This record gives sequence, C-alpha cells and structure tokens, in this order.
Amino acid sequence: MIRVYRQLLVAQIQAAAQYRIQAVLWMLFSIIRPVIFLAAWTAVANAQGGSVGGYTTSDFAAYYIALTIVGHLNTAWNSFEFEFEVRQGRLSPKLLRPLHPLHYSVVENLIWKVTTFLPLMLVCLVIALTFQVKWNAEWWHLALFVPSMILAAALNFMIGWVTATATFWLQRINTVNTLLQRTSFIFAGQIAPLSLMPTALQVISYSLPFAYALAIPAEILRGGVTLERGLLYLVGQAVWLALAVVAFRFAWRAGLREYSAVGA
Amino acid sequence: MDAPVVDVRALRKVYRVTERETGLAATLRSFVRRRYREVLAVDGITFHIDPGEVVGFLGPNGAGKTTTLKMLSGLLYPTGGEATVLGHVPWRREGSFLRGMTLLMGNRSQLVWDIPAADSFLVLKEIYAVPEAQYKRTLDELTELLELQPLLHKPVRGLSLGERMKVEFAAGLLHSPGVAFLDEPTLGLDISMQGRIRRFVAEYNQRSGATILLTSHYMDDVVALCRRVIVIHRGVLLYDGGLADLAARMAPYKRITVTLRASVGDLSSFGEVISNNENVVTIHVPRTQAADRTARLVRELGDQLADISVEDPPIEEVIDKVFASERPLAEATA
Repeated sequence: MIRVYRQLLVAQIQAAAQYRIQAVLWMLFSIIRPVIFLAAWTAVANAQGGSVGGYTTSDFAAYYIALTIVGHLNTAWNSFEFEFEVRQGRLSPKLLRPLHPLHYSVVENLIWKVTTFLPLMLVCLVIALTFQVKWNAEWWHLALFVPSMILAAALNFMIGWVTATATFWLQRINTVNTLLQRTSFIFAGQIAPLSLMPTALQVISYSLPFAYALAIPAEILRGGVTLERGLLYLVGQAVWLALAVVAFRFAWRAGLREYSAVGA
Repeated sequence: MDAPVVDVRALRKVYRVTERETGLAATLRSFVRRRYREVLAVDGITFHIDPGEVVGFLGPNGAGKTTTLKMLSGLLYPTGGEATVLGHVPWRREGSFLRGMTLLMGNRSQLVWDIPAADSFLVLKEIYAVPEAQYKRTLDELTELLELQPLLHKPVRGLSLGERMKVEFAAGLLHSPGVAFLDEPTLGLDISMQGRIRRFVAEYNQRSGATILLTSHYMDDVVALCRRVIVIHRGVLLYDGGLADLAARMAPYKRITVTLRASVGDLSSFGEVISNNENVVTIHVPRTQAADRTARLVRELGDQLADISVEDPPIEEVIDKVFASERPLAEATA
C-alpha cells in the first residue's frame, strides 16, 4: 500500500502542479469567513471594554487563527467530488480497480493541504500581527493538538464520505452537503467560540460531531483547554471517528447495491 | 475440458426508474408522490464462455449488452440469477477478481487527463501489484502492438480520440487480465484506427490466451474477431452459436451480384431481384441452389456478363433479421 500511495502522490502532484493558482485561491477563499468573524468579535469586544465572556481581542485573534489552520487541515470536499464522479461516470473505472476509491481522495486531499499550507501560514502571520494575537498554548497543548488534528481531519473526511454515499440513492446531494455545511456553521464554533454560545446550543454542539472536527482542535491549539478536558475531547473525537467509519462501511456496501453505473 | 471462464445462469437485472408526466401539475404532483416504473434490462440470460474464446455480444441499443457487461465486471448487482467470472462472483468485487479482469469502454476514460499516460501506467502498476519485470515486458509488448511510443509522454488530454483509445487499451491490459470485456472499443474511431484496434485485439488474444467478450455496433469488428456470437434483444438471449451458422439459419439465401455490359431485361427467373442499378443486379437465391443458378447466369448471359460474385448476405442484414424475429433461434450451441 505504501508503494501505491507513493505512486499516487507523484501522479497527483503532477496534476496539482497545473492548477497551483486555483489551489491558492481556494485556500484564500477559506480564510475569508473566519477573518470576518474575527473582525466582528474584535469590534464587539472593543465596544464592551476589551473583552466578551472572558475572550479578549487577542484571544479572539488566537481562536480564529487556530480555527483557520484547523479548518484548512480538516478540509474535505470528497462529497461534492463524489457526486460529480458518479454523474459523469468517473466512479466506475475506479470501482473496477483493486483499490478503494477513498484512497484517491486521501492523496488529493493531502496534496492540496501540503501545497497550500505555507501560503496559509503567511496569511495567518499577517492576521496575527494585525490583531496582536496572544497565544496561551503550553507545550502539552501542541502535543495534544497533533493527534487531535489528525482525528479531526480523519473525522471530517469520513463525514464527507458518509455524505457522499447518499449519492447512490439520491443522485444529487448538493442540498445534503449544504445542510451539513450550515449545521457545521452553527455548531462547529465558526460563529463564536463554543463557550460563548447559549447553553442549549453548547449542549447540541458537544452532542454532534462537527465541533470535534473544528472548534475542539482549535481550542486545543490556542491553549484554551485544560489537560483533562483536552484528553476527554480526544476520546470524543476517536468515538465519532469510529462511528463515522462504521457508518461509511455500512453505507458503502448498501450503496453499491443501488449503484446504477450511469454514464459509464 | 477446462471450466468456463465466464459462467452466466439466468442472470437478470431490473432497474427502478422514476416516471413523471410532462406539465406543471404533474411535476408538482411528483414532489408529493413519486411513481416508479420497473425496466427489465436483462431477462434471465444463460451462457458460458471457455478460456481463450473471443465472443461477440450483439444487440441493438438498449438490448442489455452493457448492463450484462457491468454485472460481469462487478459494477452492478443483478436482480436475480448467478454468474461467475474466473471462479469469482463478480459483484463481491474481491481483489483477486478485479486483478484478473478488465472492462474497457470505448466512450470512457480511466486515465488521469492532466498527466502523461506513462505516469498513469505507473500508478496502475502499483495498484495491480504487477511485478517490475512483468510490467516492463507487458508494457514493451503493448507499446509495440499499439505503437504507443510517441504517445506515452504526452498529457492524455492532448491526445486524439484514436490515440487515447490506444493508451486506454494499454492501461486496461497492463495487468495482463485473463478476461477482457470490451464495450464498443472502436466507437467513434476512423476506419484505419478501427482496423488497428481489431488487429491488436486478435493478436492480444493469440499471444495472451485471454478470454474476450466484445460488444460492437460495427459488424466488421465482429466478423474480424469472433467466430461465436451471442445475440440479445430486449434482455432476452436470441442466439448463441457460430457466426457462420447464424447467417445460414437467418438468411437461407446467397447474394449473387451480376455486373452487365448492357441491360438485358428481367432476371427474376434466376431468383429474387433485390436491386437493379446501372447494370449491377443483386439477386437472392436459395443457398442450396446458389451454384446451379450461378452457372445458369454465366451460361445464359454469355458475353453480356462483365462480372459475377456470390456472397453471404451482409452480417448487418442477418442480425437485423434476428432482432426482427425477437424469439430465441435455438438452444445455445457453443
């Protein structure tokens, strides 16, 4: 499998090299939303004497920069791509090979993240200097962040694949994707850090998988959690990931029975 | 006798499709209550193919050919019946099954468009776990047979349709599959490229001993490659047997084409005159009497005769007759 991945990486780097500008534009596009919220919360904090619910303007900057980094590293567009592949008849050639189609997505995903990470960090540096960020992270926060980020990326990726399998039944899943995006927007800590949300929304957020893929690793990265809570979050992430994997395996098998191989 | 490579028994596929009438009211109703219709694509077909055979799989559009190939290659689950390919149930999609077969579709690409074919080949080599020495040997062979050398290092998107089809063939056969399902492999290609692809398939079959099931709307493909044909129509198997037998059974006549130096009047006493254009007359005569009638024509027309030929009717005509009959011709004879 290592040899397969190595060769897929080479091929994908070659393909991605032809669309460098597009890759960077997508990355910049993903930064716009957190920067808007950062600016809004900074304005609110300044209007209220420098802080909101214990978050200073520097804390907000740290949170949204962390959210931007996590959001970049957990990006998964496979459900959008999958629908396109099914409709265009491009899934069938992949299904004919002794390699699960998921592996091609893993490689594409990794390539995009790696090739756009450096420009992303430059943009984050500019934001950090502009908003005078204050980082509270200890060394163990960073140690916790690495597994938390891997779990978050894997979780978001698998949520994408579970969603993708809906294509087998619905043919078009744009609305399903939009629904998930909107839900994630509300419950994954994009509007505000979870601790600033009303209690009911916090309960819902911690009961759904979306925050485990975004807000939680962001809070760990900015140093906003205790060690005990951080470890508990890792367990929560692992449980959601396991559930997503099981759901995917089940949905994939059932979906293939429905697959009509249209257009191919 | 070796076990069949492809063994199909009462294979059946029913698609469930939504049905909607036209018009605004019907469209709005469909939001509330959907109506479904069942479409029988393959209706209990049974056949088997022995190792090394090249079999033509014929039928008009919508006959169920591609659906059958998709079931046999593991893309589709059947609604009923059984099938094994290389001893595997295709729709279980086991790794050893996928490594042993290929499905090539003339109108579909399996290569990455943005990179040269040679790089896609390396990816396929690893996916199919082809040993280095075997990969080199196979690629050299395919490069020679398909004259691929100038194409290997160009991005696939820059290749013409014919060039792309050649690299698609190579991509599909790099892992030396024991079974190849070819769905319209010459679709859209010019006459010269069709001929090259045909010669390649024939030579590949001879060299590798691979079993090939081929669909094509070009009868030249079938005539050049297949001694046996399976004909299906509306999901039902109409004929399974030799191509030559099919012509004899469905068209029990020969076609005599007479070229005259000048018009000689009515030739209907020799057989059924099918056409008479500018002194070229086509006559259908019973097969058993073809030799006698030809001799009579030569004798009676004498100097008026410029040329004469006796042939089987074109295979397209024979196949049309099979489709028109819409009932099984005979038990499988292959």
